[in-house]
Amino acid sequence: MSVGAPPLSASTLSVELRDRLVPIFGADIAIEQLALLAGGASKEAWALDLRTPQGTRQLLVRRAGGGVIHQGTLTLEDEHRLLEVAAAAGVRVPMPCGYLGEIVGRPAFVSERVSGETIGRRIVQRPELADARAVLPAQMAEELAKIHAIPAERVPFLGGVGAHDVLGRLTNEVDHLEDAHPAIELGLAWARGRAPERNETVVLHGDLRVGNLAVTATGLGHVLDWEFGHRGDPAEDVAWPLVRAWRFGVDQLRLGGIGDVEPYLERYNALTGRHITLASLDYWEIVGNLKWAIGALTQSRRHLSGQQRSVELAVLGRLAAEMEFELLHLLERAA
Amino acid sequence: MQDRPDAAELAQAVREFIETEVLPGIDDPRLRFRTLVAANGLGILEREIALGAPLVRREVGSLARLLGHADPLPDDPGELRRRAVDLNRELAQRIRAGDTPEGALAHLVATVADKLRIASPRYLERYR
Repeated sequence: MSVGAPPLSASTLSVELRDRLVPIFGADIAIEQLALLAGGASKEAWALDLRTPQGTRQLLVRRAGGGVIHQGTLTLEDEHRLLEVAAAAGVRVPMPCGYLGEIVGRPAFVSERVSGETIGRRIVQRPELADARAVLPAQMAEELAKIHAIPAERVPFLGGVGAHDVLGRLTNEVDHLEDAHPAIELGLAWARGRAPERNETVVLHGDLRVGNLAVTATGLGHVLDWEFGHRGDPAEDVAWPLVRAWRFGVDQLRLGGIGDVEPYLERYNALTGRHITLASLDYWEIVGNLKWAIGALTQSRRHLSGQQRSVELAVLGRLAAEMEFELLHLLERAA
Repeated sequence: MQDRPDAAELAQAVREFIETEVLPGIDDPRLRFRTLVAANGLGILEREIALGAPLVRREVGSLARLLGHADPLPDDPGELRRRAVDLNRELAQRIRAGDTPEGALAHLVATVADKLRIASPRYLERYR
């Protein structure tokens, strides 16, 4: 992705990588294939086929990207630890295999490589995934229920907690943009005035939505992308997949372009014994749009500052207006 | 004065080249996606060249009314943009201070819709 610092070639990476894999998989291993996959903005993802005495393992190496990790993002080491804890709690995650330390100067970890569709637009549209879409809402509720039951003391490195903390972080990020964004200010003012009192605090995935799930023909395979894990109000996580950007064009299905909210919320409440209301989801959906509007502007600054030159990040700065418009639309409805 | 193609026509020529000659030959999905993003970026540029100036004027006029400024709008495009930056900062500060002017929401809906007319017109149509 980065023009300023092109990704390493597989051959440069593989020598150090093999050394780091020996303590995990033993000395009798060989890298059969190593290829850079489509990845997020700040991380590299490498598909690794590793020959071991037990046969070839299909693995994924997550490695830090070029930019400085931004506020609220877990280090690769903490992300790996969170994956381990989530796996132990029965959450469907790609099984973590080990933290690798720095490989050619950047931290990385290795996990199982899972199959399934991850592209949001395909998940909401493809006819062969219709059966999956029918069961996904309940399955998302089930995974969220398991994640929110993870004992916080197992993951003491997670920051966050409460609506006021989320809004404080967002305000801080807005203040780091050099120009003013009155639509975002209006949303922040609305959200501050209605922030729920801090009550229950749980472990949150932080980015569970269509697009961060591996989906197979039968439904939810695995929950991916744990780098935004933090602690907070459970409704923050439950409302996040409602945000319009994550409906991938199927706007009328408020839950991620795949289903209605009510059955999903009922399933979540039944599993957890919580009583999250639709009104609470309305609140956190507005906060979610704020988060992603500010996130898009912040990402574009990575390009503008030269930290990570990328046409994708540059255009994201203009697309923040989509989230601003949705935010204002929701504020009009809430008024 | 430059000869034709003008700025919009030049952006369009590059976008059409990307869409018709470059894209069909790209198999790598990551490169394909970024190439589509690049073509979209040129589309934004074309629309900004065509529509940008009057929309900035409209935004500054609306901001001035909202904030109670009576001074005439500058004619110089650079001056007008600086005025837009200043007035947006003033509006943001007033909202932050709890002094949101009456009509701010309606102003912002209209202004952000104008931003989308350049940045993402098809997204705007999804609200009709």
